[in-house]
Formats: sequence, C-alpha cells, structure tokens
Amino acid sequence: MDNSPNNDFLFGALPAIAPLASAYVPMQPGVEPRYEPQSAIGRGTLFPGLDLPFRGMVNKPLPQTPLGELMAIDFVADELSLYLDTHKDDREAFELYQNVLALSKEAHEKYAEQCGPICKKDMLGMKAYRWLNDPWPWEVKERGED
Amino acid sequence: MFVYEKKLQYPVRIKNPNPALAKFIVSQYGGADGELGASMRYLSQRFSMPYPELKGLLTDIGTEELGHLEMVGSILHQLTREMSDNEIKKSGFDTYFVDHTAGVYPTAASGFPWSAAAIGVKGDVIADLNEDMAAEQKARVTYDNILRLSDDPDVNDVIKYLREREIVHYQRFGEGLRLALDKLDEKNVYAMNPSFP
Repeated sequence: MDNSPNNDFLFGALPAIAPLASAYVPMQPGVEPRYEPQSAIGRGTLFPGLDLPFRGMVNKPLPQTPLGELMAIDFVADELSLYLDTHKDDREAFELYQNVLALSKEAHEKYAEQCGPICKKDMLGMKAYRWLNDPWPWEVKERGED
Repeated sequence: MFVYEKKLQYPVRIKNPNPALAKFIVSQYGGADGELGASMRYLSQRFSMPYPELKGLLTDIGTEELGHLEMVGSILHQLTREMSDNEIKKSGFDTYFVDHTAGVYPTAASGFPWSAAAIGVKGDVIADLNEDMAAEQKARVTYDNILRLSDDPDVNDVIKYLREREIVHYQRFGEGLRLALDKLDEKNVYAMNPSFP
C-alpha cells in the first residue's frame, strides 16, 4: 500500500454524525485515479484505492491477445457498473462508462468474427452453427490458438 | 433471464495438473464461503430489496459470482486432468476421486457437500447487507488461505484476482448499506425499516 502523503484515494468521507448501531463504510469519492484496462483486470480492480493485495502479491497486466483485450475492456465495464450502482448520479463515471461500452462493443464484434460467437446473437449472419466449436472457456486451450 | 457468454471473466490457464491443490480449492466452488453460495445468496436476497440501487447491486454482484463459480470450476477441471492412478493416491485426492472421479462437484474441502444452510436470506435490508459484507470477508480469508497453501503461479494468479474482487464487493455492499441507511429515518433506522411493514 502507498503510505505517501498523496494517498487521498485510499480514503472516503463518513457522515459527521450517524445513528448508533449502524455499520458505516466510507463512500468511494470518485473514479479517479484508475488503472488502464489491461492493468485493472490484472490487479482485480479498476481503482488503486481498493487495490489491497495479500502480502503485496500482484498480477501482471493481461497479454494483448484478442481475448485478453476483450476481457480487459469488459472487466472495466463490469467494474464501472458496480460503481454506478451505488453512484448513479456521478456524471464523470457515466461518461466514462459510455466510452467503455463503445470499446467493449467493438472488441466483442471483432473477437466474435475472428474466433467465433461469445453470445448466440453473434451468430446472426454466420455461415454455420459455430456455438459448439471447441475449446470451451474452462479448457486449457484458448480460442483462436492452433 | 440469463444469457451465457462463452468466455471467462478472467483467464484460467493451469499448465501443470495438481490434484493435491484441487483437494482444497474445491471449497471455493461448493464450500460455506464459496462462489456457489455467494451467487445464490445475492440472487435470492435481491427479491426483497426495497431500493433500485440495491436490486441492481445484488443482481450485478450475484451475476459476477456465477462467473467466478465458472472460473473456480475451470481451475478444478484443469488441475485434475490426465491424472495417473498413482498421482490420485499420492496426492490425497483419492477420497474425492472415489465419489466424483474428475467431475467438478460443489463440496467443501472438508467433505461437506454444498448446503444452503451456509447462506442467509433474512428478507431485511440491514441484516442481509451486513451478511453480504461478512460473506465477502469470509471469502477473502479463504482466498488468503489458498494463497498460503498453493505454490502454483498459474493457480495463484487467478486466486489473487478473485480475492481482490471480494474487497471491491465489500466496498460496494458497504456503500449499498450506506444508501439504505440514508433513506431510512436517521433517528431510528430499525423502526422505519421498510423490510418489515
């Protein structure tokens, strides 16, 4: 953890006065600072303020494969969506979410075209029923590999 | 309604099969604080949540937990592939193997099969969100314990990711509780709780 004086992002506000017998967690103040998508998915969070690894053990950014890129951008979309569930009026976060959704759509379509459908709707316009093609996600081999 | 996406949330690529690790990682599939329990807890609690933020949060986190269940299942599948008879005996995986072969079955490492007795659905916004925060911490500790016991970098890569998700979920449930408390009468949140009319 960063213990330097510029670590405000590790903190959030609590109410000045609060009822007894209630648990309080500080609200996350905003979506700054944040990691780039490939690093965010590697760390398991978009937000350095919530990045609290066990014994300082952290993962590397995901490799820049078509699947790695899709996973990274979809991860940021999921992470922002959870943030927006509790911060629905945060305009900055919602604008960011819009940009991320556009990138996610693009990455999804590119991947489906190259490696096969992710959702059944991706098969619209395909020449064969590619849903069944190996490998499935739990197998060691990744789609798009020989 | 749920729609399947044919990809994991985070990649699982275990190079070396190792049934000795599968023997305890199975707890995060079907143990008391595992991903099956997490998804069932949140996706069931959401029906009685009083506010849209909380309906959304429980739906979204519950759905993500289903994705984590798939990831833990993938770890188990990959750790137990191509096992020799000797490896099964030597690794201590024999007690699981005799019942389930290399199938992925929701059970605790201690042998107790998955049970809804380990989750809570109280139908009360304060009680349920406090349970959820505790559940995220319990899952985080289980992942800490797995990181202490496992020396496989491919497994630990995924476990570190899943552990961090528990921390993010804890924060969001805490914020959800905060939103709920703000909407209740601050002078007496218990008397004004909309969960008990």
